[in-house]
Amino acid sequence: MTPLEELLFRLADDEYVIAERYTEWQIYAPTIESDLALANIAQDEFGHARLWYDVLEERGYEEKDLLWERDPEDFRHSTLCELAFEEGDWADPVVRSYLYDTAERLRLEALVDSSEPAIAGRVGKLLSEENYHREHAQSWLERLAEGNESHHRVQAALDRLFPHALSIFEPGEQEKEIVSQGLRTESLDDLREEWFEITIPYLESLGLSVPEPEEVARPDARGRDGSHTADWFDLHESFTATYHELGFDQPTRLRGEGA
Amino acid sequence: MIWEVFRQAKPGKYHQHCGNVHAPDREMAKLFAQIQHGRRMQTNSLWVVPQEEVSEVDSDEAAFGGATDKAYRWAMTYNRVDASFAAEVEESEEEQREAAKAQEEA
Amino acid sequence: MDIEEVKERAGPRAFSPKDDLPEEYRKAATRMIQFHANSEVMGGYLDKQFTRQAPSLDRKLACTAKVQDEIGHAQLLYRAAETLGVKTREEMLDELEAGEGKFLNCFHYPVDSWYEAPMIDFFVDGGAMRRQATLKATSWEPYAHAMDKVCFEEGFHVKHGEDILRELMGSSRANQEKVQKTFDVWWPRIVQFFGPPNKDSKHNDFAQQVGLKTVSNDELRQAFLNAYIPKAEKYGLELPEVPKIEYDERSERYELEYDDLDWEEFWTIAKNDFQGSDEQIGSRRKRHEAVAWVRESMDAWETSQRAPQAAD
Repeated sequence: MTPLEELLFRLADDEYVIAERYTEWQIYAPTIESDLALANIAQDEFGHARLWYDVLEERGYEEKDLLWERDPEDFRHSTLCELAFEEGDWADPVVRSYLYDTAERLRLEALVDSSEPAIAGRVGKLLSEENYHREHAQSWLERLAEGNESHHRVQAALDRLFPHALSIFEPGEQEKEIVSQGLRTESLDDLREEWFEITIPYLESLGLSVPEPEEVARPDARGRDGSHTADWFDLHESFTATYHELGFDQPTRLRGEGA
Repeated sequence: MIWEVFRQAKPGKYHQHCGNVHAPDREMAKLFAQIQHGRRMQTNSLWVVPQEEVSEVDSDEAAFGGATDKAYRWAMTYNRVDASFAAEVEESEEEQREAAKAQEEA
Repeated sequence: MDIEEVKERAGPRAFSPKDDLPEEYRKAATRMIQFHANSEVMGGYLDKQFTRQAPSLDRKLACTAKVQDEIGHAQLLYRAAETLGVKTREEMLDELEAGEGKFLNCFHYPVDSWYEAPMIDFFVDGGAMRRQATLKATSWEPYAHAMDKVCFEEGFHVKHGEDILRELMGSSRANQEKVQKTFDVWWPRIVQFFGPPNKDSKHNDFAQQVGLKTVSNDELRQAFLNAYIPKAEKYGLELPEVPKIEYDERSERYELEYDDLDWEEFWTIAKNDFQGSDEQIGSRRKRHEAVAWVRESMDAWETSQRAPQAAD
C-alpha cells in the first residue's frame, strides 16, 4: 500500500463507518426534526467517503474491492466510528460527532495544501459541509450538559468514547511518508495536540470532566492497523450480507453529470 | 419598529414575503400593512411579524443542500427507468429537474 | 359554518385555519391526516433496513435519503393535522405508540429482505403517490400545501423503487424467482392499499362530501392497476392467480375480484390487532420511549429559556 493509499483508506473508512452507524438512528431519533438533521449528517459523511473512495478508484480500485469484498481486517477506520449504539443513548451520537467532527476539521485543514491534487481539490467541498456537523453537535452538547440526567449521560458517553477517539490519531505504517511527501501538511501528533487544545477546554467549560489522555486505559483495538472491536465485525457482516446474496455483476452507480 | 409583511394573494395560495412597514405596535403594523402592501396587489390575507423575531440563516454561513454530489435524490438520475407511465411521477420529475437546475445555477 | 355550508363551499384548498369549521369536519380531517402522517413514520420502520442492506454505496445513499424524505413528510403532515386544533403532534405520537394510531395496511407487515425493497419503494410508494397527487386538491389548505411538497419529492422515491426492481429482474434467475415469490406475497396487500371497495368504506362518503378526498378508493385503485400492472409485467413479474384480475378490452380496465382478497385480515389490521401490528407498533413504542429522556430534557431547556421573558 502506498502512503497515498493509506491516507485515503483512513479518511474514507472513517467517513463510511461513522455514517453507517449514524443511519441506525433514522426513525429512532428523539424528535422528527432531530431525526432529519442526523440523517443529513450521515448522508454527508457517506458522500465524503465516496469522494475519497473515488480517488482510489481513479487509481485502479473498484467499489467492490473498496467496500463489498474487502476483508473487515483491512479496514483502517478509527474504532470511535464503529462502536454500536446502546438503545436510546442519544448522548452517544452527540458526543461521538463532536469528537469526530472536531478532529475532522483539523485534518481536512491539513489537507488543503496537500501535494496530491486529487486531495487538495476535494477538501473544500467537505469542509463546507463540516461546519454544520460541528455546530449541530455543539448545540446539542451545550443543551444536554445543562440538564441533570442528560448531563450524566453525556459524561458517560464521553468516558466511553474518549479512549476510542484517541485512535483517530493513531499512526499507520506510512505515517512518516504521508507527511514527508506533503500529502498531509501536519503530523498526527500535531493534530492530536490541536485537538486536545480545542476539545478539552470546551468540554470542561460545560462542566464535563475529560479523561487524562496519557493515563486513560486504551482499548486493545486501534483501528488503524486493522484491529477492531467485535462491534465492527458484526457491522461488516450485516452490511455486506445482501451484497453477497444478490451476486450482481457491479455495484450500481447513481451519479450526477457534474460529479 | 419594523414589521415584515407576508401576503397571500388568494385562499389556498402561500403567504409570500412582500415588504415591511414601520409601526409602533402590532395593531398599527396591521393597519399600515394593509394599505401599503394590500391596496394594489390582489390580497386575501397578510401576516405581520416583528422583524427582530425573524431569524435568518443564509448561504454565506450554510451549505444548503450540501456541497457534495447528491444526484441520488433526484428522479432524473434514474434514467434507466421511464417516468411517463404515471402523470404524477412525470410531473414530480419535471419539478425536480427545474429545482436541481436552479440549485446548480445558484 | 355549519356542515351544510361546508359541503356547499367544499373545493380544492377551500378551508384554512382562519375558518370557523364544525367539529365534524375538523375531526374527520384530523383522522385522515393523522393516518397519513402515522403511515409515513411506520413506513420508515420497514424502509429503514434497506439502507443497511443496499448492495452499492449509491443505492445506500438513495435509501437513506428516501427514509429522510418520509420522515420529512411526517413532519409536514403532523403540522397540517395540528392546524385543525383537535390534537397536538405529541398527542398523535403518543397515540401511535399506544397502539391507538392507525396507519396503512402494508406497514403492518414486517420485512426482512432486499427483495421486498421494490414492493415497498415501487408498488406501495407508487400507490401512495397516486393518492397523494389527488390530495393536492383537498379542501384543507394546510394539507394541500403539505402535498405540494410531498409530491415534489415522491418522483425520486418511485423511480428509485422501480430501478431496484429493474436491477433485480435483470439479474440472475435465482434473484428473479425470489422477487416473484415476494411479489406473490405482497401483491394482495398492495391491492388492498386503497382500502375496501367503495360500498364497504366507512369514512369515504363524508370525506368526499366535504372535499377532503376528491377521488374514491375504487377510482384510485383502478388508476393504480392501469399504471402498475403493465410495469410489473414489463419486468417479467406474473400476477398471482388470486386475487383474480382480468383486463377488459372494451372498458380498457382491469377488473378485480374483490371477494378474493382477505378482508378479514384487512379489518384486523385496521384495528391494529394483527400480529404484525404488535411487532411494528411495539418496535415504535420501544424506540420512542428509549429517547423520552431527550425530549424531557429539551422541554426543560425550553421552559428555562422562556422563564426570563415571562417575568417581564
